[in-house]
Amino acid sequence: MASISLKKLNKTYGALTVVHDIDLEIADKEFIILVGPSGCGKSTTLRMIAGLEEISGGELIIGGDVVNDVPSKDRDIAMVFQNYALYPHMTVYKNMAFGLQLRKASREVIDQKVQEAAKILDITHLLNRKPKALSGGQRQRVALGRAMVRNPEVFLLDEPLSNLDAKLRGTMRAEITKLHKRLNSTFIYVTHDQIEAMTMADRIVVMADGHIQQVDTPQNLYDRPINMFVAGFIGAPQMNMLVSKLEKRGDGYVAIFDGRELPIPANFDKARIAPYEGKEVVIGLRPENFHELAPVDINPDNIAPFEAVVDLAEPMGSEIHLNITAGNKAMTVRVSPRFKAGIGETAKLVADTTNMQLFDKETERSILY
Amino acid sequence: MQWLRDMWTKEGPGIPKNAPKRTGLALFGQIFAREWWEMVKLNILFILTALLIIPLPAALAAAAFVCLAFVEDRNSYLLQDFVDALRRYFWRATLWGVLFGCVIGLGIYAIGTYASAARTSLWMAAPFTLALVASVFITIMACHFLVLMVMRDMPAKTLLRLAAIASIIRPLPVIAALLFVAALWLAHIAFYPVSVFMPAVLNFSLGMFAIVFAAHRAATMVLALSIAPKPASETEATDAKHI
Repeated sequence: MASISLKKLNKTYGALTVVHDIDLEIADKEFIILVGPSGCGKSTTLRMIAGLEEISGGELIIGGDVVNDVPSKDRDIAMVFQNYALYPHMTVYKNMAFGLQLRKASREVIDQKVQEAAKILDITHLLNRKPKALSGGQRQRVALGRAMVRNPEVFLLDEPLSNLDAKLRGTMRAEITKLHKRLNSTFIYVTHDQIEAMTMADRIVVMADGHIQQVDTPQNLYDRPINMFVAGFIGAPQMNMLVSKLEKRGDGYVAIFDGRELPIPANFDKARIAPYEGKEVVIGLRPENFHELAPVDINPDNIAPFEAVVDLAEPMGSEIHLNITAGNKAMTVRVSPRFKAGIGETAKLVADTTNMQLFDKETERSILY
Repeated sequence: MQWLRDMWTKEGPGIPKNAPKRTGLALFGQIFAREWWEMVKLNILFILTALLIIPLPAALAAAAFVCLAFVEDRNSYLLQDFVDALRRYFWRATLWGVLFGCVIGLGIYAIGTYASAARTSLWMAAPFTLALVASVFITIMACHFLVLMVMRDMPAKTLLRLAAIASIIRPLPVIAALLFVAALWLAHIAFYPVSVFMPAVLNFSLGMFAIVFAAHRAATMVLALSIAPKPASETEATDAKHI
């Protein structure tokens, strides 16, 4: 049983507070990812869970026990670092076996666990090699193996894929996800890469400036961001934020952006929107909410024409990322590779507001949730 | 100091899983490049043990046991494995070491005697040749015997039979290894005093590694024969990857 609770956990360095009273419940066997920009406190939080950083305040509870003062080695956790932290003078086998040796495990047990982990990670052929001969991906597997042999209740992974090239990162993402399912342990993973977070996590914790912004499933974070930070952070290219004026039209509302009327979907909670009538709000539209032609499967009431000047076209193969300007606002939209408008020309697009987000301009919090 | 850190932390080229395995001298060189530091330590361990004279045969067996791990690309904890092997093979190695030592000594004595006699009477060339061939064969057999002994526990009779078969089917690699050992010592003598540290650093362990490397394939082949006993346990089976 390795559920983890963070209760008002904080970390200060003198007058500087880097983690502000965060509360978080992590279920047993959950794969949770802490994500956020550099300096947001995600690694510090992980290191506090690991016992590598002293906790300045609050409580850290693992498996029902407060472990604030429990030494790292007694917390039944294993950590994988970004730089692998392998012992360069030891072979892969000895790197993996070292933790067990310190715990006075018998040679048979050590051998069995090392061989088992090596088989799972497909590094059996590397066991008698030194780290200097290994590539980044192989080193990362060894680092994972070293954590695995200890059979901990909780795995802590601090940006383990950051040093790998893009292709290998993709492979290792899948490997780690499979490993989590196979080991059935709690995984807490830190990354600044939202693709890693979206593809691997059961739940994502979005952090900024030492605060938790939102904790939710990847899809919910994408569909229902609680504030402008989360909306902008999750999704690539990021969500377009347009300052617009909210006005009533008949029974419904429209957001007016640079003279363009963008319909607010009828299913949105009108009671939440009503107080903003006549005021400026920020509307959020993701790049995929723009189309060259109105899709047939979308409610026509949620469609609005949207013309903008093309600044740059970035062909991605399966799609083109168009950098456009509308009302002095730079935006990014996704269009099909067959899209023809050239740079400097006006692109005739339609905006689909079905999944539009609405934010309070002052508080930057979502009006909808 | 960046270069020093890089030396430790810089990523390597990686080791492809399905890369064709090197063979022969290339493999010998690869293992040596990988394990040379372990061999230096093994050499020191061997010298420290062999200085006491009586444990010399057991030290040879222990060195062979560790070298076997190098050849089979297995993990080894040098000191622990050496000491364990020293204990495990002490009596067997001492007994067979004395026996083979006596027989080879007798052979060398016979070679010397018949060679002197052959100078005056040509017909003594026949026993000289016989003594030479027998001594060389016994030496090769002793090498195979040593390697087989540390590869799998088996009755003395079976061990002798398998060592003899191995010596018949693949004598050349061991002869080459013995020549390599001789060359190591000749180099020590020829380049003295530059080579003064050779015996202290590598001669014994590298020589033993060469012998184990050379005898390993034949030992593997004879252990696959039906007369060879099967591994006693799962662990032993894992240890004996060559089967």
